[in-house]
Amino acid sequence: MKNIFKILPLAALLATASCKKVLEVEPQQSIDAATALQNDQDVNSAVVGCYALMGGGALYGTNFLMLPDLQGSESYCSWRGTFQSFRQVASKTMTRDNAEASRTWIAAYRAINNANIVLANLGKVNDAALRTQLEGEALFIRGILHFELVRLYGLPYDPATSNSQLGVVIKTTAATDEAAASEKIARSTVAQVYARVLTDLNTAVTKLPDDNGTRADKYTALAFLSRVYLQMGNYAAARDAANEVIASGAYELAPIPLIPFTNKNTAESIWEIQQNEQNNAGQANDGMATFFASKPGIGRADVRMNTSFISSFYESFDFRRRDWYYVGTGARPGNTYCFKWNAFEQNLPVIRIAEMYLTRAECNLRLSTNVGDTPANDLDLIRSRSNASSIAVPVLADILNERVRELAFEGLRIHDIKRLKTATGSFAWNDNKLVFPIPQREVDASVGVIVQNPGY
Amino acid sequence: MSKKINVMLALMLLMTQLVWAQNKTLTGKVTDNNGAPISGVSVMVKGTTAGTFTGQDGTFSFTVPDNAKTLVISAVGYATQEIAVSGSSYQLSLKVAEAQNLDEVVVVGYGTKIKKDITSSVAKVTSKEFQNLPLPSFEQALQGRASGVYINTGSGKLGQGLNIRVRGISSISANQQPFVVIDGVPVVSQSLGSATEPDNPLATLNPDDIESIEVLKDASSSAIYGARASNGVLLVTTKSGKQGRTKLNVGFFTGWSEPTKKQKFLDATQYKELFTAAADNMGYVAADEFEAETGTTDWNSTNNTNWSDQAFQEGYIRQYNVSLNGGDARTKFLFSGSFNDQNGIILGNRLTRATGRVNVDHTINKNFKVGANLSLVQSNNYRVPSDNAFSNPIQLNALPPLHPLLAADGKNNQATLYYNNLIEVEDNNRNLSKTYRSISSIYAEWNIMPNLRFRTQAGIDWNNLQENQFLGRRTLDGAPEGYSYDNQVTSSVFTNTNTLQWNNKAAGNHNIDALVGIEYQRGIANGASVEGRAFPSDRFTRIANAAIISSGSSTETQFRFMSYFARANYKFKNKYLLGASVRADGSSRFGADNRYGLFPAVSAGWIISEESFLHSNRILSFLKLRTSYGRTGNAEIGNFSSLSLYTSAAYANIAGLVTSQIGVPGLTWENTDQFDIGLDFGFWNNRISGEIDYFKKNTKDILLNVPLPATNGYTNITKNIGDMTNSGWEFTLNANIIRSSSFNWTTSFNISTYKNEVTRLVSPVPPGARTLGRLAVGSPFGEFYGRKYMGVDPANGDALYMKADGSTTNDYSAAVDTVLGDPNPDFYGGWNNKFSYKGFDLDIQCQFVSGNDLYNIAGFFQSVNGDYFDNQTVDQMNYWKKPGDVTDIPQPRLYDGNGAGKSSRWVQDGSYFRIKSVNLGYNFPRKMLQKVKIDNARLYVAAQNLFTFTKYKGYDPEVNATYIGNLNLGHDFYTPPQARTITVGINLGF
Repeated sequence: MKNIFKILPLAALLATASCKKVLEVEPQQSIDAATALQNDQDVNSAVVGCYALMGGGALYGTNFLMLPDLQGSESYCSWRGTFQSFRQVASKTMTRDNAEASRTWIAAYRAINNANIVLANLGKVNDAALRTQLEGEALFIRGILHFELVRLYGLPYDPATSNSQLGVVIKTTAATDEAAASEKIARSTVAQVYARVLTDLNTAVTKLPDDNGTRADKYTALAFLSRVYLQMGNYAAARDAANEVIASGAYELAPIPLIPFTNKNTAESIWEIQQNEQNNAGQANDGMATFFASKPGIGRADVRMNTSFISSFYESFDFRRRDWYYVGTGARPGNTYCFKWNAFEQNLPVIRIAEMYLTRAECNLRLSTNVGDTPANDLDLIRSRSNASSIAVPVLADILNERVRELAFEGLRIHDIKRLKTATGSFAWNDNKLVFPIPQREVDASVGVIVQNPGY
Repeated sequence: MSKKINVMLALMLLMTQLVWAQNKTLTGKVTDNNGAPISGVSVMVKGTTAGTFTGQDGTFSFTVPDNAKTLVISAVGYATQEIAVSGSSYQLSLKVAEAQNLDEVVVVGYGTKIKKDITSSVAKVTSKEFQNLPLPSFEQALQGRASGVYINTGSGKLGQGLNIRVRGISSISANQQPFVVIDGVPVVSQSLGSATEPDNPLATLNPDDIESIEVLKDASSSAIYGARASNGVLLVTTKSGKQGRTKLNVGFFTGWSEPTKKQKFLDATQYKELFTAAADNMGYVAADEFEAETGTTDWNSTNNTNWSDQAFQEGYIRQYNVSLNGGDARTKFLFSGSFNDQNGIILGNRLTRATGRVNVDHTINKNFKVGANLSLVQSNNYRVPSDNAFSNPIQLNALPPLHPLLAADGKNNQATLYYNNLIEVEDNNRNLSKTYRSISSIYAEWNIMPNLRFRTQAGIDWNNLQENQFLGRRTLDGAPEGYSYDNQVTSSVFTNTNTLQWNNKAAGNHNIDALVGIEYQRGIANGASVEGRAFPSDRFTRIANAAIISSGSSTETQFRFMSYFARANYKFKNKYLLGASVRADGSSRFGADNRYGLFPAVSAGWIISEESFLHSNRILSFLKLRTSYGRTGNAEIGNFSSLSLYTSAAYANIAGLVTSQIGVPGLTWENTDQFDIGLDFGFWNNRISGEIDYFKKNTKDILLNVPLPATNGYTNITKNIGDMTNSGWEFTLNANIIRSSSFNWTTSFNISTYKNEVTRLVSPVPPGARTLGRLAVGSPFGEFYGRKYMGVDPANGDALYMKADGSTTNDYSAAVDTVLGDPNPDFYGGWNNKFSYKGFDLDIQCQFVSGNDLYNIAGFFQSVNGDYFDNQTVDQMNYWKKPGDVTDIPQPRLYDGNGAGKSSRWVQDGSYFRIKSVNLGYNFPRKMLQKVKIDNARLYVAAQNLFTFTKYKGYDPEVNATYIGNLNLGHDFYTPPQARTITVGINLGF
């Protein structure tokens, strides 16, 4: 009995002494932020993480590629699905709590923060060449995401004005603790955001390698720069950037237009989101094939093409009409769907060399120059690949129509409408309703520091 | 528990009999009111440890000292008697115990207590009240029987998680379910599975193995469980062996079940009438639109399919159970086994459960005792898809009656408006959750001194869940070439408890007992899953045959607790009671800056009836005032919520690193301070007895996600920042109304209330796109909030909504959001009546809930005056037809959304009164049975959910669609109704 009085306190003491350690349990599927980034490999993985985030449905996995076409749906396509959030995009009746406006904003800034974390941890990378490359990739990612955001959430860039309308929040610092994560930052003007985008992308061009596998390289950044300049109406710069991409010789058109959408990482593709059977943007409620396809067991057939658009835009013998449009046999059968988005595991081309030819052609024509090649030759290259009849002396409208034909349903439509100052249906290019609402949660969480867009 | 006391008594007898030399021998026989012998009755000399137990024939014989004056005769379930010693032979008759015996032993945390001495609020339900009922899981036995415990079964799906709320709702984002302890082992009561809707790990327990369930409701009873007690504690005690002849009990019951209600939808004629009107009103041609939407020409067919009834199947239930129990003064044992097979009422739903148990207690010598409770269960649950899945059979009621049931090839018709999910249960398709579980423990006790006992217990809750799903190529999700999914989760929770207990029994006016203890707990859960697609044919269902392994995963998570606790009770002059307890809980879940929490509680009681001024009162036989105050916690905050984390993110074939969570190092448990005051009373020698309680719970530091500007990369951060209160009354009354030699009637009634109010939030949580439940300061949890439906404009058939000034508008967007209802009940309770007449006994259990509102989310599809081609409920035929019509069903307008906005149009009163269970039995006369060597035989008919009285127009008012989360209480979305089950059975004892 006496022993028990000796043992018990001893046991208690032992338990107390060891319990500090006993109560320290590390998670298995996640790692502590304090020790997450330590060496070359960790920082490299954080860059890959950015690509993974960009491949999600909120960003390039769906919304950046699908919503710009849905927004310009008039005489073009229609949304047939049950998702109210997409229906609102198509009908220009988005509400402040629209799920797409919210998730795209949130996911983009999450990826931007991940890129900023990479930039803040470059010192942990020992290999100098790798360090430069990772810096270039992080800047590229930060740059294109700010560009995508400002195009969607701000009134259009107009080279005729000072662009002092509100753009989006510029975020160039990493947040890793509560204080930084709680910071409330106001929106910058559209001009400021575009300036930041140009800085990031131009720096990225100087840091990125010429070839970086399926990840962004120098020409990916240049191709995006060309897009940015074109959006800004800076035709010379857009032309030169496009020309540099083409002149690199790294890319070429596939023999038929079907190929870049049924094969991965073809020579036609400048940059595409990598997907496979396991890792893709979604197979049920998200993902390009999910919304576009109407094949047995694949797709919800939510985006239906206007047959009149197809018949009026494409010649009957145009391969694009044959390869890119079909009558659905899965969900909502019997209607016309776009075959560019046909399989859950397909890669998603974000920017193709065809666009660079069309940009160069448009800019050369506008500027009456022949940098790289003549507009007629560039246009013919695109048209002859698809068996379309050749246009001897193209005018601007020919090139702009070719853009619609060639780049349909790849996420360019509303941006082109805005830069060309045309309209979709009764919505003029600068209509407030063609701008996404700032997610209400952002206005609330920033206590009004982030202000709402006009019209919402 | 009483057996353990008996064991100790027996042990003491053994010792003392050796001590006394000069004695005399007493013999006698103990019988009940009907003259039947009672075995296992303790007969003791008062004030000593001399005594014995009666044998199988009720007789006893033992030696007592010459100076013995009084005998104390006691047995479980009977009132204790004292008689004077005179002569050497006794013939005794024990009275049947009172309905609510104040000497009853109640299980409390780490011990037991006599009910009379309890200063806290504990509800107890014993096996007698629920044995032989076809309960899908044992917690349902508490429904209507335990005051202060609100249970919403949610749906008629077997093996599905249910809502148990003890004294209101004490959390927002952490767990709201009570902490469950079985024979001293904390068990996993939350879903381990991967399905959208939670399964119920407690459904694996055999209700027939349970002796009693105690619910610790107030802080003084539950604070000994510290950081896990804020939602109340369920203490489950399994049956154990009884001293005496080995008894064999076998039981069997079988029965059938059907839905409590089926809903009526339009037939083909009505359907065509409504949709013709809906199309005409919008300038469409109904047949054309129907064809465009369904891809069929069924509009012109003569089909009249009742799709909604196709969702149901004939339910059945069978149960076989056998138990063997017995033992001697040193060793007692119980072996039990059971097999239960239930076919649910919803297509494809089935639950089987095979259980085995061994409970053994062994006394080594006067100082040492050991024991073990071992159980093993195997359960197969063929599950029903989530309410919101197109594959949920109830969603068949959306299909137009014009579609034929079968296609031309004789197979289930695939050409339907929505997925015909009858395909889901074809051929080899399956959705099976298989569970292997063992909740087992061993213990040793050492009586260090007569008053001091050390006890150590090691227990484990081991749970292996195997989910297996196959969907063939004809199914929605299995197309085009088949889909298979396997998931395994193994959870193992180990607990070691060491206590030192001190009892000071006979010290004059002072009576003290005390307890100190240390407890260590470690829980690990491992998971592994794999998913495959593309099979050569539907005859192959295993992933070995899949061409594409589309995903695979393995995970592990862990938590630990290190706890220290102490408790002391003091009783003065048998009428003044004081109690205090404290627990220190440390957990790996709490942030590094806040590892340990302290949870104290105090209580006091005054047995007023023991005072001289009431002592001789003939009417008032018992009166006790008690009160308690204390603090408990809620540690179900997630294992790693306090950390800032990175996780992986896959980019095709490479894996990246991304931020996943930003944490606060000080994050910790939620605190609840609870005050309780109660009165226990008894009249006419406790023939009428009862309890009244008032409680107030203040919960602080509730975990909430504080929204962050997403521009910094995170959407929210979890902090201890919310407050909430719950208060309410509980009232229980028991009465033995008629008590005669042949006829007995006892009744028991309880009614409880809780009022919940959210008192602090970071920001209000608005309802979701389709739901009404919200969080707002000053409102109850889950309050319904949205547009108020104001009926139909008689002039034009427009749906009307309320504007801010109270006037109406047909413009939905011009209407304002307002409070539309409260899913929390005003009051709820139960009423139980037991009758016995000669060999017959009848037990009728009723249960009621009042004042809670329900929202039928599916109204947007099924009661929306033909807005889209979903089949409609029959009430929609009363639609507005011409100017001047007064109705609340707007004019049908196809695709136009007239009255389709989320509104109070589909809010209804969810009050109901239910005859929950009826059990009519006949006990065969003993004399007849003796000839065939049977001890007892009972034949019975039982029914569950026999009748339900409600105004709710949906399937069943006891509804809670779980896929939409905690906040949306009382929402119905194609949720299957409960089952009405009728069983017949027999129990035999040998």
